[in-house]
Amino acid sequence: MIDSYIWVEVKTTNKERFFLKCQEIQVFIYDVVYENQKIKVKILEKDLKKLKKIWFIKIKKIQNLGWNALKEKVHTYHIYLISLLIGLVFLYILSHIILSVEVIHSNQDIRFLVTNALNEKGIRKNTWKKDYQEIEKIKQEILDMYPDDLEWLEIETKGMKYIVRVEERKLEEEKNEPGACNVVAMKDGIVKEMIYSSGEAVYKRNDSVKKGDILISGTIKKDEETKKTVCATGSVYAEVWYEVRVSIPLTYEIQEKTGKVRWNIKAKNNGFNDFLFKSRLKNYEEDASSLFTLFGTEFLFVKQYETTVKEVTMDENEALEKALKEVDEKISLTLEEKEEIIAKKVLKKEVNNSTMNVEVFVSVLEQIGERQEFVTQE
Amino acid sequence: MHIYKTIKNFLLDQEYFIDLWQENIHIYGFKKIDVLQENRAVFVLEKFSLEILGKDFRVLKLTNKEILLQGSLKEMRIL
Repeated sequence: MIDSYIWVEVKTTNKERFFLKCQEIQVFIYDVVYENQKIKVKILEKDLKKLKKIWFIKIKKIQNLGWNALKEKVHTYHIYLISLLIGLVFLYILSHIILSVEVIHSNQDIRFLVTNALNEKGIRKNTWKKDYQEIEKIKQEILDMYPDDLEWLEIETKGMKYIVRVEERKLEEEKNEPGACNVVAMKDGIVKEMIYSSGEAVYKRNDSVKKGDILISGTIKKDEETKKTVCATGSVYAEVWYEVRVSIPLTYEIQEKTGKVRWNIKAKNNGFNDFLFKSRLKNYEEDASSLFTLFGTEFLFVKQYETTVKEVTMDENEALEKALKEVDEKISLTLEEKEEIIAKKVLKKEVNNSTMNVEVFVSVLEQIGERQEFVTQE
Repeated sequence: MHIYKTIKNFLLDQEYFIDLWQENIHIYGFKKIDVLQENRAVFVLEKFSLEILGKDFRVLKLTNKEILLQGSLKEMRIL
């Protein structure tokens, strides 16, 4: 049993008599502080009973020391200490637990493969975090499991999430270069530009070609004699034509903001989307920004702008402009690099029951060459 | 010096010793305190009694056979 000390206040008119008495009854004094009418003495707690029996003094316990003092403090602040302990335990758990695993790769099959492998190795959500050595070991094991599919794998720990980045192994296919081929026209048109690296050009700029015509020949001739056959390679840009029909309604509806704004909080989890507070606007446009994510649910701050539907009527010129714009968009979707619309001309325009039908003739610069193999006659 | 004396006493187990330094008087090995006043104190040891005379004696520490007094010492006598 550890002895504990206490400070005691002693009021007496005869201090010397008190000390003599202490010596007589075997009460040890470890420290003394003298004040005006009283003294403070440091004694063992077990000696307090003996002191209380001395009739000519008045004593009062003023402070615990050592273990008792500590026990007293713990008892006084036990709620704070327990809260602190719970907080520390909670912090420890949260900092060592994984709530989600994200595999980053464009190929769904690879993502599926890696996710299953990680699950097998114990890397999945709601599990304890693994240390560096374990993760390195798991990475190597997964790469060894799929040597033909995976080139590289990296597992990064970010907060309560594992982010897994994967690089797929792509085996190079043996390129079988065809022996002999021509570049033929896919469409009718007028040749505007020819860029070729092998073969012989059959047509030149501003020549008219039809679908199926050989534009770049793989047969190299000299003096009407076939000298060599190659696989013709190149691009042929020609002016081609399209007739595009569009219908534009003369009356349409637009959403206009009224100026009223309301705020809300949205919770998003996989397919589930819901507002925390009831929406006070019937028709609105929303602008959301992410606040935080907790246990897989994303919380967003949403600004809702009230809108009204307004009916707008266009005149013929506006409708025609809109039609031409639509034609541009339609054609542009099919165009690739270096291809462009050269000219547009309205062929026909008619208005029926508040709809305008427009027929537009479009000239487009397009790549029309396509490689076609042929068999050489030996 | 005090540490040295304490260690020496611990190892050699002296019957009594008396130390004086600055305004402190340390007496170890008494059996009883006969007199304890502000100007005079008498300690009964095994083979003799020790009387100390001075001014403003104050007890700083006290056990069954050891005492530390603070005060101004004028005279010390063995009775």
